[in-house]
Amino acid sequence: MVPIEFYFVLACVMFLIGLFGALFRRNLIMVLMSIELMLNAVNLVFVSAGRSIGNVDGQIMVLFVIVVAACEAAVGLAMVIAVFRKYGTVNTDILRLLRG
Amino acid sequence: MPDFSLILPHVVFHTFALLITIVSICVVAARHPVKSAVFLVVDLFLLAGLYASLDSHFVAAIQILVYAGAIVVLFLFVIMLLNLQQEQLKGIKFTVVEAGALLITLIGFLVVIFNALAGKPTGLGDGSLDVAAIEGAGGNTQVVAMKLLTDFIWPFELASMLILMAIVAAIVIAKKDKKELPAA
Repeated sequence: MVPIEFYFVLACVMFLIGLFGALFRRNLIMVLMSIELMLNAVNLVFVSAGRSIGNVDGQIMVLFVIVVAACEAAVGLAMVIAVFRKYGTVNTDILRLLRG
Repeated sequence: MPDFSLILPHVVFHTFALLITIVSICVVAARHPVKSAVFLVVDLFLLAGLYASLDSHFVAAIQILVYAGAIVVLFLFVIMLLNLQQEQLKGIKFTVVEAGALLITLIGFLVVIFNALAGKPTGLGDGSLDVAAIEGAGGNTQVVAMKLLTDFIWPFELASMLILMAIVAAIVIAKKDKKELPAA
């Protein structure tokens, strides 16, 4: 049996890679994909921790996370399409209307 | 002769962990979003393998069906709709806020990793799922289904509402404005 800490470490690494992508990529689609990566890191923690405490609640939470991820991807990509239609780009350096 | 049944889970985990890390870096670092999406599919399949090794077969199947089958395909459709150019990765600028956010997260995770590897108690069990009891109840998928449709019935129904709202929102956001339509 692999210790649960290893899974946590792997999830931390995955989350950090996803966060790096979400912060530093300049393409809105890449940002959304990096967020999917971060959600998957969270799912890994849920499954491994749920197994560790010996019940299936973690797996059920993962199903809900997947539902939310699907909704987030659908709405986010619809917004990407709307933004691209209006401004002709998905580069976050150019789309700086909301930037302080 | 070593006992392979003890070594095999470790071999599987470390192989998958290494591959997941490499493929995740490829997802973030790939120049073109299409390549990134394909790497994301590989990543999701690897994670599904890891879930299966954790006796979470239903989650592994849903991961492949929903994530790799539906969400990434949605990404690919949008990428093809938009006809993007390759992103220039060389001149990446980042602000103090972004670097600070990354740094703070890094420090937090270093604390987590340090505590985990130092053997501090995580408040969790010893990693031994009561496989016999779950098998006795009809296997993992049946246990998940029973719980999902009894204890978690309200979140389950709310999830369907959320999906309905997301469908409506996606259509409303992505449709063309009336004034942009050509005059009929």
